[in-house]
Amino acid sequence: MATSLASGAGANRGAQVNVNSSDVPLRVLIIDDDPERIKLVEEGLAANAVVHTASRTHGRLLLDMISRIGPDVIIMDCNSPDRDTIESLRLVARSNPKPIVMFVEEEGGDRMQDAIDAGVSAYVIDGLMPRRVRPLIDTAIARFRHMDGLRSELQKTKDDLAARKVIERAKGLLMQHHGMTEDQAFSSMRKMSQQQGKPIKDVASNVITILEMLANKAGELPE
Amino acid sequence: MTAQTLNIGFAPLTDCASLVVARERGIFAQNGLDVSLRRFVSWAAMRDALGSGVIDAAHMLSPMVVASAARLGPFPGDFTTAFTMNLNGNAITVSNALHEEMRQRAPDLMEELPLTARALKRVIQQRQAEGGAPLTLAHVYPQSMHSYELRFWLAEAGIDPDRDLNLVVVPPSLTVDALSTGHIDGYCVGEPWNSAAVVGGLGRTLITSGEIWSNGPEKVLAVRKSWASDHHDTHLALIASLSEASKWLDDVANRQTAARMIAAPEYVNTAYDEIVSSLTGVGVQTGGHLRLKMPDFNVFHRYAANFPWRSHAKWILSQMVRWGEVPETVDVESVAENAFRPDIYCEAVKALDVACPVSDQKVEGAHQHAWLMETQSQPIACSADRFLDGKPFDPARFSDYVSGFDIRRGEDRLGESDRSQVADLGK
Repeated sequence: MATSLASGAGANRGAQVNVNSSDVPLRVLIIDDDPERIKLVEEGLAANAVVHTASRTHGRLLLDMISRIGPDVIIMDCNSPDRDTIESLRLVARSNPKPIVMFVEEEGGDRMQDAIDAGVSAYVIDGLMPRRVRPLIDTAIARFRHMDGLRSELQKTKDDLAARKVIERAKGLLMQHHGMTEDQAFSSMRKMSQQQGKPIKDVASNVITILEMLANKAGELPE
Repeated sequence: MTAQTLNIGFAPLTDCASLVVARERGIFAQNGLDVSLRRFVSWAAMRDALGSGVIDAAHMLSPMVVASAARLGPFPGDFTTAFTMNLNGNAITVSNALHEEMRQRAPDLMEELPLTARALKRVIQQRQAEGGAPLTLAHVYPQSMHSYELRFWLAEAGIDPDRDLNLVVVPPSLTVDALSTGHIDGYCVGEPWNSAAVVGGLGRTLITSGEIWSNGPEKVLAVRKSWASDHHDTHLALIASLSEASKWLDDVANRQTAARMIAAPEYVNTAYDEIVSSLTGVGVQTGGHLRLKMPDFNVFHRYAANFPWRSHAKWILSQMVRWGEVPETVDVESVAENAFRPDIYCEAVKALDVACPVSDQKVEGAHQHAWLMETQSQPIACSADRFLDGKPFDPARFSDYVSGFDIRRGEDRLGESDRSQVADLGK
């Protein structure tokens, strides 16, 4: 008997994931040497999925296969030697990590709950029955997308905060060196942003670069 | 007294030796420990098993513990170590075809010893000029000494490991296969996987990790921080057992016996022939065509090997920053203090006849040759700690060291999830 553990190894921006949609088949990649488990997953998914199997594909070939197939979910054994290769996916910015469903031994299965905090997106304690396969995968994908959404929201908030700091600094410099009011400084940058079709944050950092350069130069010369 | 039951994870590699010796020679039992050894074929699986409490301790890549302390990846802040299991022990091996290509492109450079990657750079330049296929080299895990040693060796010769070739993760047991089928051109792994390629006539070992950084830390005994504080006495007994096993193991006279022990099916499960040369240090291949006597290919105890130097932790961290895995703003002191616990080590070996260094840091790379380290008890005979590029690493000048590398990455190398995790938890 195995418990199942689903993990998301990173961001999944732009990936086509088909949760709860029966008209588009789910692309599934199974990395496993156990023919019974492969059969079980195939049976459970029936006609709703395209199942690819990688049992003797490792390392670079496995990565090539993933980028060729573009699976919606990867199913693998928790203690497979290929796990480290899959894990390395999330360290490459250009790659597009996938939700991962893992088979784990029953022993310690409940304690693997902690692994959920480590980027895992769903977790089920049950013997894997064919009829449980699809709901399990859907849960894993949904959870993965949810976590990914939270992550990108967090990233966006951070980016916004960073942008605001840059704009504030540029406004300050314009006010100091060009006697503008705060409103004038902001609207002049916004105008430039519209004219150049650049984000206001980029305009602001250009302003900072130029004004600091001029200030340094002025500082070097005796008055 | 009933024995403490412990589950310890290990990877089937030569450097799990001290765990096997401590068990086979009854050293754990003498220290009141009943140890089960569990084999893992994936570092990520071992990490998760340790983090979630399925195992109590692990034979772990030293950078995995530093990564946890630097809050990079899963189980941020959870792991620590008070025992370095071995120094050196890895090597870089390439296919016969790539070795031949290097010899043709740069026969002069192939006579160097230690063999730098300059000949490889010529191959890469030639292939780029002719529009040929880029090379693919493998290591075993992103946060591993193998990865940092391979990157260091490449970058030292002016090769950008992220732009001039493909780096992939391949499980150690599959590296030889991947080399023979031509899916990879070379790799940096531990033993027995370099010897296996050489013995099988499939590849050539170009350089050993001890020639890239003499006596750098390889595996550590990792535990959960919470476990270390809840089971302090058991932790001490575990360290004392491994110290004794390592001392026995470091005696050249015992290395053949040890090779037989760890080659057994329940441990590394390999041929004695593939394990013995690296363990005895006799006939180790390096430089692509030499067989040398390298008694320090594996160091288990001498040179204060088991002492978890915080300067070792900081060097590992310096490479994480260099390659964009950890932000430059990382609190270096705090990471080193949480990752490596020399204080626990010294407490554990106090009753044994083992001297402890008086400082927990040194300038790495300051010693080109053997030297004597004074301690409060007997002095310790130490060996070189030099780097291939000849630059010393002063832990007090961490940022200068990192910015001194011509080839390095910003944080752009990280995936989105790792970046936000680091930013999030790194506060």
